[in-house]
Amino acid sequence: MAIQTILVINKSGGLVYQRDFSASAPRLSSNEYLVLAGTLQGVVAIASQITPKSLQITRKTGSKSGSDANHSSQLVPYVGALGSSAVPAQELGSFMGPDYFNEAFTSWNTTGLKHVTTDQNSLFLYQTLTGVKFVAVSSQSATSTMAVSIAENLLRKAYCLYVDYVMKNPFYEPEMPIKCELFDKRLGELVAQL
Amino acid sequence: MAIYSFWIFDKHCNCIFDREWTLKSNHASGTINSKLNEDTAKLLYGMVFSLRSISQKLAGQGPHNEIRTIATGKYRAHVLCTASGLWFILLSDLKRENLSEVLRYLYGEIYIKTVVHNWLSPIDFAESEAEKRGRGTRKIRNRNFLQRVEEFLGPMIN
Repeated sequence: MAIQTILVINKSGGLVYQRDFSASAPRLSSNEYLVLAGTLQGVVAIASQITPKSLQITRKTGSKSGSDANHSSQLVPYVGALGSSAVPAQELGSFMGPDYFNEAFTSWNTTGLKHVTTDQNSLFLYQTLTGVKFVAVSSQSATSTMAVSIAENLLRKAYCLYVDYVMKNPFYEPEMPIKCELFDKRLGELVAQL
Repeated sequence: MAIYSFWIFDKHCNCIFDREWTLKSNHASGTINSKLNEDTAKLLYGMVFSLRSISQKLAGQGPHNEIRTIATGKYRAHVLCTASGLWFILLSDLKRENLSEVLRYLYGEIYIKTVVHNWLSPIDFAESEAEKRGRGTRKIRNRNFLQRVEEFLGPMIN
């Protein structure tokens, strides 16, 4: 799974960060990427509106077992060290241990858009509780649940980097484009491991 | 339940067929060509249209980059776009990863044979200018088509 592009979209639908990682990445102007981010924000909102009726019915009359099954389906399994070269512990910023996290985690994106596949690409979306969205564009069309959980793990690690190097930067203004060298560098290392 | 609903859109942005199942225990439950689904149809059309425009922007040197599946936390939509501008959309649960073969069969073996090869059925479902641009409400009411869709998709809903 080759990651072409990673985008970060803020809670109001504006593009705050965009980076290409491969030479095969599409050459779009920064304006086109802004439009793309705004469109994705709209689609995330629409996708939760068209939940099928049968799901709405089962949720209303849902028994305990149903809600439990729903809860477990929102858990994303932890995928161990992505790639071969493990990074030394002191490279993980304020995170201790061999990796940022080592347990399954809950996906906060329960009804919104998660994963889109086309003939050439697949697009993965990770949403945080505060409304920040991380988008990865991969150059392979993968539909398997394994690919989705790998992508969610990768994007959660990108979120850990965001927390460390963007949120703790006193010169960063919230909701504005990210210009942080350390974030750039660490994200590059993270994607290079894959 | 594996399949939740099935939709067809024509090149004039009109929904020309919709079928939604509501109870997994009952193949005949749910709605066919319902007026209540008009708003949902518009939202679904808008979502696929937006994501198609994104995928066309992201396409590299390849000839085309059509959209295949759209997954959310609750369901997965499978899309087949034909060259004549028809969109076939199936909504299923997340366990079904690829239904493109099913969509191809619905188009090639059912739609073509019972609607296109049928002289009594209109070729274009928008008859006047006022019914183009998403304002038409004509649906496929062909008996053979309805029957064969039920026969084919009915066993898949649970």
